[in-house]
Amino acid sequence: MTAPRAVVDLRSFACPLTFVKTRIALERLGPGEVLEVWLAGGEPAESVPRSAEEEGHRVLRVEPLGERDVRVLLEKRAGAETGGWP
Amino acid sequence: MDLSGKSALVVGAGGLGGPALLVLAAAGVGRIVLVEDDVVETSNLARQPLFREADLGAGKAAAAVARARALFPQLALEGRAERFDAGNAVELARAADVVVDGSDNFTTRFLANDAALRARRPLVHGGVLRTTAQLLTVVPGGLGGCLRCLFEAPPPAGTVPSCAEAGILGPVAGFAGGLMGAEALRLLAGERGAYEGRLYVFEARTARSRLVLVRKRAGCAACAGTQPLEAAGAAACETTTSRPGGAP
Amino acid sequence: MTLAEDRIARFARQLLVPAFGEAAQERLSRARVRAVGAGGVAPAALVYLVQAGVGRLWLDDPEHVSPADLAGWLYEQAAVGGPRAAAACEALRAFSRFCEVEPYPVGGVPTAVVVAASSPAQALAAAEAARRAGVPHVVLEPDADGGAVVSIPPGAPCYACARSTAAAGRPPLPGAAALAALAASELVHLIALPGAIPGRRLDLVRGVVTSRPTSRLAGCACGASAGGPGARSPSETPGDAPDG
Repeated sequence: MTAPRAVVDLRSFACPLTFVKTRIALERLGPGEVLEVWLAGGEPAESVPRSAEEEGHRVLRVEPLGERDVRVLLEKRAGAETGGWP
Repeated sequence: MDLSGKSALVVGAGGLGGPALLVLAAAGVGRIVLVEDDVVETSNLARQPLFREADLGAGKAAAAVARARALFPQLALEGRAERFDAGNAVELARAADVVVDGSDNFTTRFLANDAALRARRPLVHGGVLRTTAQLLTVVPGGLGGCLRCLFEAPPPAGTVPSCAEAGILGPVAGFAGGLMGAEALRLLAGERGAYEGRLYVFEARTARSRLVLVRKRAGCAACAGTQPLEAAGAAACETTTSRPGGAP
Repeated sequence: MTLAEDRIARFARQLLVPAFGEAAQERLSRARVRAVGAGGVAPAALVYLVQAGVGRLWLDDPEHVSPADLAGWLYEQAAVGGPRAAAACEALRAFSRFCEVEPYPVGGVPTAVVVAASSPAQALAAAEAARRAGVPHVVLEPDADGGAVVSIPPGAPCYACARSTAAAGRPPLPGAAALAALAASELVHLIALPGAIPGRRLDLVRGVVTSRPTSRLAGCACGASAGGPGARSPSETPGDAPDG
């Protein structure tokens, strides 16, 4: 599987900021590129992957990170514009 | 039209209640009671016109009153820094000529609906989600159904809302709130409401409008004024949004 | 091209709207909006533009605050009699530290224009200037029934083609704030999502909007300079700073 283009640690943020930042990170990828996001357990872990899917991205993997948190791999949907990682 | 003898109850001072209150005040409504227990946060300042940078961290009710009084010295404005709940809803509605519901969660919306009908006061309901505004006017004994006729019940407790549903475009909230204020003015002037018995839905990007007929549901207890009032939930946070309506 | 933490926090809810992401918010912050008219129904439009994150708002209004302006959202009694542009600047700055609000500078080159003029002649002149400059602009036409908003992306039929003269002179409703917010929504879309909305006229009557695409009147100068079918696409807006 493709290695992530970017890794973002959002464990210290709460909803909806977690998804705002996830969206921004996804926006900067090219179509088909992979984003790795670290999320706090609870609301972020549950709602961010689902919201990403609703916006057309693919959830490749969700796995535990530490005791409560999760590591999520998201593939940016095809046909979207490319942003630009600085 | 002299509205100085009229009064309005405004629930919520945010993206919907804020512009509605400003419209009512500008039109010379004599008395407004505002109920709002929240605190001004940074993301509020992208769409809530009663609040400015210096208000960050302040109680919304107090900040709203200060701002509105400075702009409209003639206005008798009472700000109540408390939650609109089963304990005060009917009494507050009864004391007003119209109820303008700018609340940001479904539990409070249903409470406002039930309380206004019980108090036999007209209610203007509004909601905004992303770039879509919607409005419905409920008149006791009038045409059409109420919020419960339309939606039956709030979504089940424990449904985790989608984060994306928390999206709101500020000017669209302002549009919805401005329309709510204008509708309340019509009702205060004794005119038929534009959204009585019909849900108005406007999507801002396509600029498409829809009017959805809201018929009275047979046996609706809220319409009969007998719906038991449910206490507003503890977490009335702005991400508690479910279709439709979202957070103002 | 990265949004700072404080901007992400401020515009969090807007950043969650489909298509309104980092790039859109950055286009707003790079925008230099000329506001023609700060009286009448303009205040609500200006407040929403400032709150939505436009980078610069230039107030172009030579008149003085009158008692009629006190029904808006910006002016207190003490401001009556003073220059309206200055009073508006001071009031608007308080809403957001992310927007620079100034009187319209000599030689200023706006990237977008909002017109809430005090006369039809002024509205036409301001719209024509925006059209010639090739920048998106929105014109407010409040009236006693509600009013209208005309949106003109670059290359679209001009304001002269789309306007209504029927309403001139009638005082706007107190509920005209809704119209002003609608104008702000249109301009935010034109700036943040170029190409997303076409030239159109939104009429607000008794609380309901009807939308019609604008079309060129035969022989209008806006047709000649738009260059016919090969007219400039709305996404090419001169004056935008290059992405970096």
